[in-house]
Amino acid sequence: MSSREEIIKALQEVKVPAKAYPGAFTAQVIGDDILADFLHAMVVVSTTVIQVKEAADAAPALDKHFPNMQRVRLNPLADGLSLADIDVLEIDGDFGVAENGAIWLDDSTLPHRVAPFICQHLVIYLSQKNLLPTLQEAYIRLGDKQTGFGVFLSGPSKTADIEQSLVIGAHGARSLVVVLTEC
Amino acid sequence: MLSHAEASEKFIANQERTDWHDDTLWFVRAKRDKASKLLPEWEALRNQASQIKEHILSNLPQYLLEFEANAQANGVQVHWAKDAHEHNEIVYSIIQKHGDKALVKSKSMLTEECHLNAYLEQKGIDVVDTDLGERIVQFRKEVPSHIVLPAIHLKKEDVGETFHQHLGTPKGNKDPQFLTEAARIHLREKFLGAKVAITGVNFAVAETGEFVVCTNEGNADMGAHLSDVHIACMGIEKIIPKRQDLGVFLRLLARSATGQLITTYSSHFAKPRDGQEMHIVLVDNGRSRQLARDEFRNSLKCIRCAACFNTCPVYRRSGGHSYHQPVAGPIGSILAPNFDKKANVDLPFASTLCGSCSNVCPVKINIHEQLWFWRQDLMKEGLAPAGKVFGMKLMAWLMSSPAVFRMAGGIGRKVMNWFPFLVNNGMNPWYKQREMPSPPKQSFQEWYKSNRS
Repeated sequence: MSSREEIIKALQEVKVPAKAYPGAFTAQVIGDDILADFLHAMVVVSTTVIQVKEAADAAPALDKHFPNMQRVRLNPLADGLSLADIDVLEIDGDFGVAENGAIWLDDSTLPHRVAPFICQHLVIYLSQKNLLPTLQEAYIRLGDKQTGFGVFLSGPSKTADIEQSLVIGAHGARSLVVVLTEC
Repeated sequence: MLSHAEASEKFIANQERTDWHDDTLWFVRAKRDKASKLLPEWEALRNQASQIKEHILSNLPQYLLEFEANAQANGVQVHWAKDAHEHNEIVYSIIQKHGDKALVKSKSMLTEECHLNAYLEQKGIDVVDTDLGERIVQFRKEVPSHIVLPAIHLKKEDVGETFHQHLGTPKGNKDPQFLTEAARIHLREKFLGAKVAITGVNFAVAETGEFVVCTNEGNADMGAHLSDVHIACMGIEKIIPKRQDLGVFLRLLARSATGQLITTYSSHFAKPRDGQEMHIVLVDNGRSRQLARDEFRNSLKCIRCAACFNTCPVYRRSGGHSYHQPVAGPIGSILAPNFDKKANVDLPFASTLCGSCSNVCPVKINIHEQLWFWRQDLMKEGLAPAGKVFGMKLMAWLMSSPAVFRMAGGIGRKVMNWFPFLVNNGMNPWYKQREMPSPPKQSFQEWYKSNRS
């Protein structure tokens, strides 16, 4: 008998009283101002927000934020590994979650899965229209979308493994800027 | 091996450090409280999470088979391991097939439970732990003392010295920012060179065949996305039915663990990227045995947030290594006797049974009750040390006879009055670090008789 069969058999032999699945959970909306909640979460996760009407309007603010640094818009043709040398990588976010500042990215927006992790600094463009109150609504929005890889990203990479001192910039991006557009 | 009490005695010998450890973990617990209070539906979420987990435990084989079928349809290879040894063999055979001698590993308590590092190192494989805390303890040839904060038993001076020895950072530099940067540079090189990456799994979704890995550092993603082969190792209890359930568990996990709103990265792996191989190893290693124990089944609901560690008055003052198990703290103390009752007989006693662990548990495990159940079980099996058995029997006899109880109380008060040195000495554990109280002149019963009757 294979280990697979042995494990399944052992589990089937245990008589556990049946417990019903509780059904979907409905979140209570925390506040009625989703934008304000999202901006607050961005502060908590050490992220800079640039609010503009259109994506192109962010250029001057980004120039100022990243002086003398090379900014690259994620290109499907680029080699994933060469992204390690890029100062600032710019990508599009799908939707954002107000309660925790998480932004959904997946294979449909990321030609290279490693991109948002390997770059030195990350810029995500996100439409204000695509903000959802909690993770629960986020998973409803995601539905059964098939994606090879997807990530909820909330802020720049960080660690507090040395004496609980918060250090921003562990293995992933050292900083995150979210460009929040009105349309 | 030292018992929990013996190892704790060594830990608390350094009072300043013990106080720091105690205060720091309490601070993390306080952050958890704040984060949970900001969510009006916190208790409803805990109920929901608990019910989902109980539902899974009553349907585990079905969900595992559903997960396997969906993962395979996604192009992932699924392996099954009965025990730690088989898990290690499976991982080694995959590495061997690719002929590589080095691998990067992100945090996985399961691989700690299986002692994978030691097994692979014996085979000549260079295992690089990539979580900063885990890399620190790996350099020091130690094990994590906390499942979320692996190096919480160390001070920055210790880390500075370790990095000076292993990474060549300047002697005496103990700046966390500087040391983290040194680790970033050191580990980036490892990520870019490794062909095989191992990660743990926080949740595996039966409905979609995908699994979720949560980190703050981004090390699991750096490893997995840069490797040719990604091996994810998980205990069979990590299954959840539906993708929508992630909404419940991810809202609870980071808030309970560190008081964060969510971990920086919650990565959902479903399919290997083009040209990559993805493997999942499903490990039993005693879980089916624990499932069959009615009193302890619920311990399999655990999502490894470590809230019970941070709140535990014993853990905070004894340190993780005193538990001599990969998973320490209150939850570890109810998981450990399932592996080996005799070797872990001390752990269910390493608790005040105050119940704070059960109060903070995001999936509502009755942790303190299970500790108490284990005590009864271990005593019944005659595994407790002879001194404890004798003491308990003596106490039972004494307490069951009012006359003996009254007499013993009277003798005790007289002894403490006339021969204080008999209790005020190092042989009496209650005398350590505290003065013995002066004995009352009479018992409550005597006082009552003379004042109220």
